[in-house]
Amino acid sequence: MRSLTLEGVSFWYPATDSPALRNVSLHVARGEIVALVGALGAGASTLLLVAADLAPRVTGGRLTGSAARHDRSGIVLPTPWTQASGMAFSVWDEVAFGPANLGWPTHEIARQVDRAIEQLELAPLASRDPVTLSGGELQRVIIAAILAMDPGLVLLDEPAAELDSDGARTLWRLIRRLAKDGKAVLLATSTLDALPEVADRVVWLEDGAIRAVGPPDLLADVAACDAGLGTSVATVWRTSGLPGPYPLTVAHALRRWR
Amino acid sequence: MLALALVLTLTPGAGSSPGWRPGLVVLRTALLTAAPFWVFLLVLHDVTTTVAIGLRITTMVASFVWLVAALEPARLVEAMVAAGWSASLAYLFGATLSAVPVLKARAQRIVEAQRARGLSARGGIAARLRALRALALPLVLSALHEVDERALALETRGLVPGIRRTPLAPPPDTPVERAARWALLLACLFALFRRVM
Repeated sequence: MRSLTLEGVSFWYPATDSPALRNVSLHVARGEIVALVGALGAGASTLLLVAADLAPRVTGGRLTGSAARHDRSGIVLPTPWTQASGMAFSVWDEVAFGPANLGWPTHEIARQVDRAIEQLELAPLASRDPVTLSGGELQRVIIAAILAMDPGLVLLDEPAAELDSDGARTLWRLIRRLAKDGKAVLLATSTLDALPEVADRVVWLEDGAIRAVGPPDLLADVAACDAGLGTSVATVWRTSGLPGPYPLTVAHALRRWR
Repeated sequence: MLALALVLTLTPGAGSSPGWRPGLVVLRTALLTAAPFWVFLLVLHDVTTTVAIGLRITTMVASFVWLVAALEPARLVEAMVAAGWSASLAYLFGATLSAVPVLKARAQRIVEAQRARGLSARGGIAARLRALRALALPLVLSALHEVDERALALETRGLVPGIRRTPLAPPPDTPVERAARWALLLACLFALFRRVM
């Protein structure tokens, strides 16, 4: 069952002549994790905004093609400090801001907020004032705030950018669990080393268009490594002048070595 | 009214922490904000008119500064939503009140960043003007940039026109407070009526 279907989508930001997305066709099924990778400006963030129905509805601009969303979506943007509501006394209130806006009854809000706080391991911070949090803590709060709205389609733009390695590991585990619970996940990330364990499919974007789609093995592809989109292991293997195909992970490299 | 505003600004706990200091800070802010108006009035009018209009302006400024210092925007939003106001409109009021401390904090960060890069705000007028320009430009540009991102974030968090937000913890609204509000409204209408008639 599909959660998101994009057919031949092109998108232009206001007052620009060249499209930020070019003829993009992509679907994301429930229970699937799709990762968008590419260089800066490749169009991954724009694709997420289109998937969230924010572009062009809120951003302005022009869209051609069709975008069908079959579930309610929630998007985590890359800068957590601009996503805080500024209207919360505590982390719990901040996470509850979205569910309250949906008009849910208070017992349902409390259930979803407590669940999201537990998922992001935020219980020790629940009574803290959001303005006193570090960037990584606030990022986890914002992710919890989106998950508390129980979206069927979870859109994540560089979700691990502000997190330390422990926080990132928790996040990747959570994303796998979300997919297992039937949610569709579309994420843009430059943390390529996590993708072999997390993503079901990888979409390589280049200059607003899809260059390749495939399993995470794509990140050990010669062309991807040439474009700087290989995993660390594949990149080191290639830099060392060892013959291809390049291994994707340390485990793959060990198997090749033996 | 000015006396009332000044009393309120000096009330212990007018700011976010107990004691007289927050009240004094509020009073100082209000008087500094009103000072340019007094200068302009003095240039344009005689002393009697200056005092008459200046006191009114100072009262308005002091009342607003006190409101900003004493009222938590989040409580205002909760109270307005509980009273049946639109959540978007309530947020608009709350965000306006919270904009001042947010901009102040950002300005402080920019000043610290500029200092780290060797720009000093000390010295003559030319040095201070250079420092002001180095503060104003990033402050305005970052605020404008954030408006776009905040619009996207609020939209995705469900703050859209026409929603029926669930009040989470509305502040208590006692019959005495309701009666006081009505009395103030009637007093304003009465003053307006007397003025017009």
